[in-house]
Amino acid sequence: MALRRLFTATVYRNCQIRPGYWRADLDLDSSGCEAFSEVQPGQFAELRVSDISLPPAQEVPANLRDLAQRNIILRRPFSFCDVHAGPKGIRIGVLYCVLGPATVRMMSLARGDQVSLIGPLGKGYTVSPEKKYALLLAGGMGAPPLMHLGEYIRARYPEVTPIAFLGARSLEHLPYDVHIDNEKGAYAAEYDRIGVESHIATDDGSIGFRGFVTQCVEQWLKEQAIQPEEAGLYSCGPEVMLAATVALADKYGIACQVSMERMMACGIGLCQSCVVATKGKGETGPYKLCCMDGPVFDGKDVVFE
Amino acid sequence: MSESIDLTVDFAGLKAANPVFTASGTCGYCNELADFMDLSRLGGFITKSITPEARRGNPTPRIVETDSGMLNAIGLANVGVDLFIKEKLPAIAQMNTLVFVNLAGQTMEEYVAVAEKLSLRKEVAGFELNISCPNVKEGGITFGTDPAQIEQITSRVKNAVGGKVLMVKLTPSVTDITATARAAVNGGADALSLVNTFPAMVIDIETRRPILANRSGGLSGPAIKPIAIYLVHRVFTEVAGPGHIPIMGMGGIRTASDALEFLLAGATAVAVGTATFAQPDCAIRIIQGMEEHCRRKGISSIRNLIGGLQ
Repeated sequence: MALRRLFTATVYRNCQIRPGYWRADLDLDSSGCEAFSEVQPGQFAELRVSDISLPPAQEVPANLRDLAQRNIILRRPFSFCDVHAGPKGIRIGVLYCVLGPATVRMMSLARGDQVSLIGPLGKGYTVSPEKKYALLLAGGMGAPPLMHLGEYIRARYPEVTPIAFLGARSLEHLPYDVHIDNEKGAYAAEYDRIGVESHIATDDGSIGFRGFVTQCVEQWLKEQAIQPEEAGLYSCGPEVMLAATVALADKYGIACQVSMERMMACGIGLCQSCVVATKGKGETGPYKLCCMDGPVFDGKDVVFE
Repeated sequence: MSESIDLTVDFAGLKAANPVFTASGTCGYCNELADFMDLSRLGGFITKSITPEARRGNPTPRIVETDSGMLNAIGLANVGVDLFIKEKLPAIAQMNTLVFVNLAGQTMEEYVAVAEKLSLRKEVAGFELNISCPNVKEGGITFGTDPAQIEQITSRVKNAVGGKVLMVKLTPSVTDITATARAAVNGGADALSLVNTFPAMVIDIETRRPILANRSGGLSGPAIKPIAIYLVHRVFTEVAGPGHIPIMGMGGIRTASDALEFLLAGATAVAVGTATFAQPDCAIRIIQGMEEHCRRKGISSIRNLIGGLQ
């Protein structure tokens, strides 16, 4: 098994990037740097939130003031939008949506604060170097690990072209800065920065393609007349979107990896709570652990319930 | 270098290096925690529940966090005793600590079957009889709440464990825990562990449904600690008694002072459960904290604290 550690990180920066969406950049200590030296996109870490204090009352979003009073005891799992090795060590970016008592607390993290992490955990994406296109499909907050994957592919697999398809219910549910260009149409600035072409899809058409991200990809596959062996799908998002991605992959005979999400107490294979149903003999295939066997699974192995 | 503190305890004839165990269902089958702690530093280790056949367990969500605790409804998911012997026992043999196997089943015969298969394995120091899980077929949790049935199953499993230590795990969901504790002792239990989780529910007010797929689950964590300490104290003073039947105290232990409260209430050893999820090396920190407490208070042996409530 790959190296994993319980370690401390220091907050370098924590700021709101769009209303409701925040990004924390964390500098890992030496033990964390060692553990993260071979991190794969799609892996995650368990962040200790219980000892982070609530922000001042006026900074807590009004709709979360009631919920924010709840105590936290368990850690929270987060993937990374960015992992950078610099001269002083490794810095990781954690993108989060403020929606409950844990993420409300994270708003109060400030430069120099120390946080406890366990990671990197689980199995990430496996890049197929022989495929010309890596199609990254993100739904809403499924975005972070695919940003990491896009950059990872650009750095290590020059013969593979990553192209991102970023979906959400509407413009305000996209955790990126979206720009509109006369030639390129709508695109995400963060992907542009790492040299990855991006397409935006919103269910309500408030920006970009009107419809599901899977429909947006399908249109692209048809327009480009992509052969099945030329492309691989790498997906993260709500389960209904992942199921649609697997159905699309099946229709076009394209390989597909999906990153699953489950409530988990530990992230390290102890609690057995994060099971994902997989295909096997008989009606009920075996359960696998999202934290250890996943979170990234081969799309054709997963039973969507 | 200050004088060393004697942390060893005698637990039903087994010598434990210290009183701190990891609790069933929160520490895996064997070496899952090895990346985060030296398992040989534990007083002991209690495996997750093992049944005769593999069990898939409940659908998800299987856990939900609540204020100062969590609910679980895993459904005794496990690999089954044969795969446990083949794949997990070799790792247990390397752990160099006291390992108890938690036994579960749907019928008395199933408990006996698992006990028999493991009774001759030298890697196993003892067993914990899980008769307090809501998934037992014989009337569910009433199986572990009926003194007559407790005495019978304890007696039958005791005959199957080949002389190894048998610890019976009690549910807190009874009017009088001394009655169930006494039944286990009458059935031949060498030790008692208490408490298991409390049946509980969390509701999603948006969907108006319980969050757990199983609808209800077992509450653990700091929320239950004072109740568990009270129950340990009652069983210690009314049933187990000093120097008689040792108690493994558990329920919401997160710090050394939590563990010391259990010892003072009458527990000979303690098991750390939910806290390990949040802090994988929690048990080791507790051992260190106990030692520091003894040093500070001038206590030469941790055994001097057991049942020391004034």
